[in-house]
Amino acid sequence: MISFHAAGLSVPNPDGSDDDTVILAPVSLDLRESRVAVIGANGSGKSTLLRLINGLARPSTGRVVVDGKDVARDVAAVRRRVAFLFSDPLSQLVMPLVREDVELSLKPTLKNKVRRRQVAMDHLDSMDLAHLADRSVHDLSGGERQLVALTSVLAAGQDILVADEPTTLLDLRNNILLQDTLFALDQQIIYATHDLDFAARADRVLVVEGGHIVHDGTPCEAIEHYRQLALSASREGS
Amino acid sequence: MRGQALLLGLRIPGTSMVHRAPLWLKYLVLVAAGTAVVFLRSPTTAAALLVVGLLLYAVAGARVLAAWASPLRLLWWIFALLAAYQWWMNGPWTAFMVVGGMFAALQLARLLLLTTDQSDLIDGMAWACSPLRKVGVNPELVALAVGLMLRSIPAVLGCIADVSDAARARGLGRNPIALAGPVVVSAVAFAHQTGDALAARGILEQGLRDEAADVTPTKGVHHRL
Repeated sequence: MISFHAAGLSVPNPDGSDDDTVILAPVSLDLRESRVAVIGANGSGKSTLLRLINGLARPSTGRVVVDGKDVARDVAAVRRRVAFLFSDPLSQLVMPLVREDVELSLKPTLKNKVRRRQVAMDHLDSMDLAHLADRSVHDLSGGERQLVALTSVLAAGQDILVADEPTTLLDLRNNILLQDTLFALDQQIIYATHDLDFAARADRVLVVEGGHIVHDGTPCEAIEHYRQLALSASREGS
Repeated sequence: MRGQALLLGLRIPGTSMVHRAPLWLKYLVLVAAGTAVVFLRSPTTAAALLVVGLLLYAVAGARVLAAWASPLRLLWWIFALLAAYQWWMNGPWTAFMVVGGMFAALQLARLLLLTTDQSDLIDGMAWACSPLRKVGVNPELVALAVGLMLRSIPAVLGCIADVSDAARARGLGRNPIALAGPVVVSAVAFAHQTGDALAARGILEQGLRDEAADVTPTKGVHHRL
């Protein structure tokens, strides 16, 4: 279970004034559901909320606890449980070849090179990506890259997957393929998205606006709330 | 960052004799060539190494051979400056010996990168660094750091090209001082990104083992279906 205990993030104001800029206002909630979506406008604090979960960002107030482990105090233990998928797969892929990138995730647990290669191929095969094993990560399509990034992240074996707008750069076909792949996984998944159809598939949806969680509920209610927010903001803007 | 810049040191898949050669043999050839360049200082040595290098590129396959000229396209001005200086100071044969020998060694080093899996390079580096374990250094971590450094060289070159293109697109010149700031910022962002990518999988946190132990992953790609 993921618990936020008044966890928030503020940074010093660039103009030197006393008031800090609030990136995410203190939030308290428990995330137990298998699929939790986070929706909101650009810059609303969705990514910050997600990055707090595996310590890619540290809270300036409060704390985040994952399965009893405080993210700030025991980031190593938390990262052994929480994987993170970026929206741009090229930011995620570290090694030049597809197979090598999956092998990198297995390195901590498999010393034997031959065995490691075999397990990496098994992982790729389970995602129907074995034919890409010896391809450069730069030669893949956007959809293939995101699926390879997902395979590499999952190969590390964590129980929880945090995904920050994983479908943003994908065309419709790959978008649906990635959604189906994610929803077929056993891991608990917390994901941010601008795709309201994708959000509607979750068990619970959080709406983030201006660094605050302004709604937390079922997909239908949350999406409707977000639509109203977007419409109001649009009218005010025009 | 542009992908083609990554081709500078990116492995070209293949099944040639050079691809299949063991890593230790490739390193041996590289060390022998480097030693020859330093200790057998003659134009003949430089010429011989250039020919041997070109032959090995040809044996490695057409795609590898096609990559032979990449450094000349990118770094020709460095070789030209060096050759001009040596010619002026020591004459044409010395210029050929120095620049030819350096280029031959560079090409053989590139051939190692072009024909070897990065994971094999990292494993080889970890093996070579294994004596450091006695002084408390984790050889796997050292090897991973070197692997990431190799990855970052072409990425930073790609970043320089991107920043130059962006400056030209706005009608700005190629003033290196003006480009330095954005390049440094992009390079630092790339380093952060790489760190985040490792953190995202918990690789460093899980600890790269340097002992002969295998643990079959208990979790991985689990499907509900």
